Amino acid sequence: MVEAVAEKTQTDASEEGFSRVYEIGYHIIPTVAEDKLEKIVGDIRSQIEKAGGSFIAEGAPSLMRLSYEMTAREGDKNVVHDRGYFGWIKFEANPEAAVLLDNALRDHTSILRHIVFKTVREDTRAKMKAPTLREVKRTDTIKTTPRREEEVSAPVSEADLDKALEDLTTE
Amino acid sequence: MTNILTQNDIQHVDYKDIDLLKQFINPHGRVMSRKRTGLTAKQQRAVEAAVKRARFMGLLPYIQK
Repeated sequence: MVEAVAEKTQTDASEEGFSRVYEIGYHIIPTVAEDKLEKIVGDIRSQIEKAGGSFIAEGAPSLMRLSYEMTAREGDKNVVHDRGYFGWIKFEANPEAAVLLDNALRDHTSILRHIVFKTVREDTRAKMKAPTLREVKRTDTIKTTPRREEEVSAPVSEADLDKALEDLTTE
Repeated sequence: MTNILTQNDIQHVDYKDIDLLKQFINPHGRVMSRKRTGLTAKQQRAVEAAVKRARFMGLLPYIQK
């Protein structure tokens, strides 16, 4: 996917000042302290600004469980992570800036994985409600509950109870 | 066979919309065929691209047992 971005850059290199809408998605390693996330996101934002990009939308990083384990190089050893702080930024920049940003993210030690791709300016998130697997008609269950209450008779005196118990035991 | 994207008036398929994408993958994590999804060719390509991005970013599994 990154190669596709690079390829596009070569073809568009002749066009000066040409800008496109890109989105980057990234996973920050889960061992990073939450108060340091802002600094890492700030690094990415400054890279975009330095390359002459302008921001369109952003999703703050939040910790999520990964669908599969990912390996990151930490120092001289590989560390496996099953969680990551996932965030994204949509911005407008020229294709050269996208490649520069891609390389910068690859070299960043706190970034587990990233993706850079072309997108559109409009909000691409689907505005549909999450599908409900079972639509339970609750009206039926509500109707049945008052019936039980009706079955409850008037308060019984202790004398009557004792008499009824005695009758039962004698039988 | 219903076209979920047309029904909900969804113009763009985002790789971050996992709940939407999950409706186009089978229990093994494979993308369903157009016969099953009922999407147009263009929509199917968009869903495939989104699923591949989501898989790469660990939002969806490549395979599910």
